[in-house]
Amino acid sequence: MPDQKALFEFNDIHVEVDGKQIVSGVSLKILPGEIHAIMGPNGSGKSSLSNALMGHPDYAIMSGEAFLDGRSILSMSADERSRAGLYLAFQYPLAIPGVTVANFMRAALQAHRGKDADMSDFRKLFKAAMKALLIDPSFATRYLNDGFSGGEKKRIEILQMSMLNPKMALLDETDSGLDIDALKIVSEGINRFHNDSNALLLVTHYQRLLNYVKPHHVHVMIHGRIVKTGGPELALKLEELGYDWVEAEYAQGTGA
Amino acid sequence: MSRSSQKTDTTSEYLIPESAPELLRGPKWLRDARERSRRDFNKSPVPPRGLHLWRYTDPATFLIPHDGPPDSTPDDGVQSSEGPVSEHLEKDSTGRLVHDVGGRDIELHGADALTSRGVVVCRLSEAVDRHRKLVEQYLYQLINSRSGKFEAQNSALWNNGIFIFVPDSVRVAEPIHLLREAGRSGSTQFHRLLIVVGRNAELTVVDEYFGGDDSDRNTSHANSAVEIFGLQESRVRYVSLQRYAHRMNSYLTHRATLERGATMLTVPLDFGGAVSKHNYGVSLVGEGAESNIIGLLFASGRQHFDNHTRHHHAASRTQSNIDFKTVLRDKSTSAYTGLIRIENEAKGCEAYQENRNLLLNRGVRAEVIPELEILNEDVSCTHGATIGPIDPLTIFYLKSRGIEQEAAVRMIVAGFVDSTLKRLPSDVAERVAGFAHRRLEGL
Repeated sequence: MPDQKALFEFNDIHVEVDGKQIVSGVSLKILPGEIHAIMGPNGSGKSSLSNALMGHPDYAIMSGEAFLDGRSILSMSADERSRAGLYLAFQYPLAIPGVTVANFMRAALQAHRGKDADMSDFRKLFKAAMKALLIDPSFATRYLNDGFSGGEKKRIEILQMSMLNPKMALLDETDSGLDIDALKIVSEGINRFHNDSNALLLVTHYQRLLNYVKPHHVHVMIHGRIVKTGGPELALKLEELGYDWVEAEYAQGTGA
Repeated sequence: MSRSSQKTDTTSEYLIPESAPELLRGPKWLRDARERSRRDFNKSPVPPRGLHLWRYTDPATFLIPHDGPPDSTPDDGVQSSEGPVSEHLEKDSTGRLVHDVGGRDIELHGADALTSRGVVVCRLSEAVDRHRKLVEQYLYQLINSRSGKFEAQNSALWNNGIFIFVPDSVRVAEPIHLLREAGRSGSTQFHRLLIVVGRNAELTVVDEYFGGDDSDRNTSHANSAVEIFGLQESRVRYVSLQRYAHRMNSYLTHRATLERGATMLTVPLDFGGAVSKHNYGVSLVGEGAESNIIGLLFASGRQHFDNHTRHHHAASRTQSNIDFKTVLRDKSTSAYTGLIRIENEAKGCEAYQENRNLLLNRGVRAEVIPELEILNEDVSCTHGATIGPIDPLTIFYLKSRGIEQEAAVRMIVAGFVDSTLKRLPSDVAERVAGFAHRRLEGL
């Protein structure tokens, strides 16, 4: 049974990709208003975990359970999970030629509000959201992510998050590919979005995003498992010392 | 892929009889040309299956018995058609409209203003008398009895002809919209279109083929030939919109030639019919000429399309560009053969060809055959083709934003099409986008 206080909770999640186990029993409980970070080296399974939770077709959840606001989500399709309030900002957002940013955003918001819902406020909201992220208005009529730079794509991911206003946002390597100015803009967007009733899970290799978006809890993931949990100071230690010491500790602990 | 047929050419019923009334129409030079075409048609064999450009469609599909009474003219009463003229006029009150009611009659709307500038829009059979020199000079130059069996058939029997002439330096700003209606159930239409665009002149033509039967009665046929001449520095835009009903087989040959500095945009939109074999060809015979072909093909049910494009570079510094997109669903099939030929004496040419095929379900089939015949080194030529389903990760991306599966697929397909429509000049895009979107919705 889900914890009544948790906004998002998953237990003992196992994920396979192409028949290979990538995530081996990960559990986490996130309360409203919290910011969690999962850190880990490349290949630790942290991106696989977030993709699987969103319903990515290449990442199969073999066992475990996940609850958003007390509702079990693993039997839901990706679009149902989204409408239930889950959001994933992708590490590598896809381009969709022929579909403009504005049309895409309108369709997504319409899907969230219901197909007969009034959308007369869309333009205003959309323009304001673009402006807040310093996205040039010309992007509205460009094809989604088609020819966008890495930083532009990440801003569009945050734009979507700010408009769809999910309860629980998973941000997968949102800081990668950003220069320092773009990192600040994106971080400010994330901080504007965050409030007492939603929550964030930042998935990141480096801690530089965490200088701008302050996590309450930091988890270290290695070999498909969360092996260490701490406060913000853990991120700083990882920044200074890398992941080797956690690996060593983990190897000792498992007797490997 | 192949459509079986019991027909063969061994019986005389498929020969054009000497007594065919069309052969007796027009002045002597025309009657001679028709008679030559009749003989060439009768003596040429049906192309064997597997012959170049006949690998994917049974030639017998287009054999039509000629032993019955001439059925090229529809019987009394205007048949049911899906696009009433008034609807077009309403949307496009400033455009020039030519309504060819299955060869029975031709209605001209708004052509008077053009006449004063020397522009001619009339039935080809009238032009044969009234503009004899022009017609004799140009008709049959690009498509004639030697072009192929079915081209010979059209050259002998064409009955629904339209002639458009634009004098030198005249710019026809409004598109001329031709509505070419299929005959009654089981009939055959032989459409002919001759367009001559003078030096430094400008013309846009929307050539819309529609009508025919949706019910399970006899299949109707259309054999169409389109000849277009773009003289020096002319600018021609030609849209070929095929939106026949389901019980309709369409054979179409389009040939255009471009003189020095002329530019042409050809927009094949292949949406309707049961079996369609359409062949679009542009020859760049003058230095610096440029041709763009931007095409869309939507197939569903058991429709079969066999399209061929041909860009022939016969002069230096000529450019050609093809973007041809296909969307297939249900059990439909499509073959696309794209030829680029660059002659040895044509230096510094650029040619590009892209064909993308979106398969919406299993059970559809698309074939792509690029053909490059490049006879000199001094060229820039690229081609590419893709065939495949919608990327499941693209669908996932849309779903992760709350958009349902079916809506996500619709958006991606619409995007696939819109990115092509966006490449068209806006006035042409406006005119065809509605047809494209309506056909997409019906997919």
